Amino acid sequence: MIRFVARRCLQSIPLLVVVSALVFVLIHAAPGGPLAVYLANPNVRPEDIERLRRALGLDRPLWQQYGAWLWAFVRGDWGYSFSDGRPVVVRIVERIPATLELVGASLSCAIVLAMPAGVLAAVRRGRWVDRLATLLSMAGISLPAFWFGLLLQLIFAVTLGWLPSSGRATPGGGDFADHLRHLLLPTAVLAIVLASGWSRYLRGSMIDILSLPFIVASRARGVPASRVVLRHALRNALGPLIAIVTVDAALLVSGAVVTESVFAWPGLGSLFTEALARRDYTVLMALLMLSSTAVVAFNVAADLVHALIDPRVTAS
Amino acid sequence: MTRAPRRSVAVTVVAAATAFELATSAGCAGRASARPSNDLLIVGYDREPDTLNRFSTHILEDIQTCIVEGLTTTDEQMRVVPLLATEVPTPENGGVRLRDDGGMDVVWKLRPGVKWHDDAPFTSADVKFTVDAINGPNYNPESTDGFDRISGVDTPDPLTAVVHYKEIYAPYDIQFIRGALPKHLLEGRDIDRAQDYNRNPLGTGPYRVAEWKSGEYILLERVAHYWQGDEYPKIRRLLFKFVANTNTRINQLKNGEVHVVALAPWDKYREMTAIPSVVVARTRGNAYEHVTLNERQFPPFADVRVRRALIAALDRELYARTILDGLAPVADGPIQPLSWAYTDRIARYRFDPAKARVLLDEAGWTPGPDGIRRREGRRLAFTLVTQAGYAIRESMAQAIERQLRDVGVDVTVDLKDGTALSAVWFEGRFDAMLHWWQMPSDPELTTFFAADRTPPAGRNINYFRDDELTRILYASDRTVDRATRKALLGRAQAIIADAVPEIPLYSVTRLDAVPAALAHFRGNPTNTGIFWNVHEWEIK
Repeated sequence: MIRFVARRCLQSIPLLVVVSALVFVLIHAAPGGPLAVYLANPNVRPEDIERLRRALGLDRPLWQQYGAWLWAFVRGDWGYSFSDGRPVVVRIVERIPATLELVGASLSCAIVLAMPAGVLAAVRRGRWVDRLATLLSMAGISLPAFWFGLLLQLIFAVTLGWLPSSGRATPGGGDFADHLRHLLLPTAVLAIVLASGWSRYLRGSMIDILSLPFIVASRARGVPASRVVLRHALRNALGPLIAIVTVDAALLVSGAVVTESVFAWPGLGSLFTEALARRDYTVLMALLMLSSTAVVAFNVAADLVHALIDPRVTAS
Repeated sequence: MTRAPRRSVAVTVVAAATAFELATSAGCAGRASARPSNDLLIVGYDREPDTLNRFSTHILEDIQTCIVEGLTTTDEQMRVVPLLATEVPTPENGGVRLRDDGGMDVVWKLRPGVKWHDDAPFTSADVKFTVDAINGPNYNPESTDGFDRISGVDTPDPLTAVVHYKEIYAPYDIQFIRGALPKHLLEGRDIDRAQDYNRNPLGTGPYRVAEWKSGEYILLERVAHYWQGDEYPKIRRLLFKFVANTNTRINQLKNGEVHVVALAPWDKYREMTAIPSVVVARTRGNAYEHVTLNERQFPPFADVRVRRALIAALDRELYARTILDGLAPVADGPIQPLSWAYTDRIARYRFDPAKARVLLDEAGWTPGPDGIRRREGRRLAFTLVTQAGYAIRESMAQAIERQLRDVGVDVTVDLKDGTALSAVWFEGRFDAMLHWWQMPSDPELTTFFAADRTPPAGRNINYFRDDELTRILYASDRTVDRATRKALLGRAQAIIADAVPEIPLYSVTRLDAVPAALAHFRGNPTNTGIFWNVHEWEIK
């Protein structure tokens, strides 16, 4: 297994280098740049723009900028943010706890929602439980996250006043219950959207597996129904779901951009939005590399988990 | 067969209900919302500042204004008034002296007894250090405008700074509106990387930073023994919460999670006025929305008859009544009525589509088979770029497109995000653009209209050329005599109105939602922002 992980890591290095080059070129090709924000200010003169361009190293050819960035990046020097001058590492690290909190809660809740919904819908295929699960999951998939978030805000924060509309905690502190209250709405949005999709995948996998001969044989041998469903069918149906969950998790780790924006959640998604608006190249590059690395790492993790669940699959 | 799944559903439901009950019952015990009080006022902000060093950014000066004070500031009428200086230097009070070599000296008398928040005295050495740092090679401020015309600063005593200009510089009175850098803290340091200062600046103002939680908020707390009196500021803490989403910000205003929304969007005006605990202050602004006509990119704009036809084809009064909901009046030029340099003795254009058609006919643009005018085989068609995601602006662009089509002009609206838009206009790569300029409190127009100030040398993105106007504008920059300057700028406004290098649409009104119980709120039309007199604010 260690050899498998090591091999996958080595294989991902050239991939990440290619991704970094592509991302670097794409970011710089986007209209505007880190200095665009100054252009609207009449007091910032062309001489100032040129001075700032030199100070940020933007006057060098693009390949030189990329080479310098890559060399520094691999040595652990992620540079300084173009917008606030602080080390990029500091800006990212301070946002990670909020993202992990939101992602962890959302993934957990989504799994808790998706598993029974998918299993029940498959077991009770065509009945009202299935139809209800289908209706709710289609609604969850169709709802735009920003609209759904605002709707929950209006109901639970503005109308009922039960929950805060945004933020991670009450400024100045907040106990566990305060954190939980702030976490509820953004978690609900992400979890419902994720669970809606996952439950459909699980339902499909379960229906396929429940019709296979070994399930029919198990039932004929008198194995209890719950054991057939949970131990034999569900275990086999989890493979495709694990692959999807890990991809979604990797994307969420790099930031649930829309949800974080609606709920003013101070995670990596908000940082990405800010950096994109300011064309903060150093922060954007670091975030995108983090995202790419997370996708690779989670895929490796998915393979390992799949191997643990399904003995037919081996990590090697 | 289904017993186990039923159990899991039941467990899930119970767990979720328990978590929700725990959260909401806690919420009932202590809601995130709180009424505004003299202990805490919460401000909802659309974005986080990148730095609190006033010389490194022009974005969100509100927070900085509470901490760092200038030698002067601007009040609600846009008048320049003294703050850390005892008076605004003028030729009349001997504070401005013209030299024979064409330069000038400005004598700043500093208010005695003012101290930095660390109790060090605020002196003329800080003023001199600020000029030296900004003009020096080791600091990258956002702008060196004005400072680069200073040859040196003398400090004959701790409360007098004599600033020597190489040439006459008309906006000298707002040169130090952003305050000064503390010499005793920053001397010999790399200011660009001095994060202790840039994120928690030492100032002389009524507040200091208590906490900056990145991505969440900045909490300011009152300083003891503020120089304007121990009774100030009246409000103990100011909390600036960063809430990027406009709808969320308004929702927070509704349920009391924030008490102030500065620079509120106009399309939320009616929604905000329906909140009982809030009043929406309307401040006549110093910005004006207009359509820039890029003569270099689209040569038909170089014909004054075409430009006059375009402005006559637009019913700007209708836009003000409908799209703008009566919140902003029609503008007729770049200098707004609040400014001392404003004149109403200029040409005005009323909605007159018949006249627009006649003017276009005279210019040789005749209707083609598709209704769009042509001349020498070229259609009178251009692209109007503007900012995406800005509802009022998008509606305005659509109205312009519709009304110009009525007189035979084909307009294609192109929406771009703000950053992309900045790059496009700076390089002059557009036909026409719908946007605004937030004008400085000093009514300098040179950078916008002088013939030699096209990008990258300035902001003349109309690429408009008028030699008389250019001469007048430079002359207005080279006098500190208010009457002479007013006459020159009056003539400049008349030329601009006559030539229509751009189409002025409306004068931007600033909306700020504040608690109904807030006393002494006075508003401010400039970049100084509404917090310029925050020390007086009080919840009654």
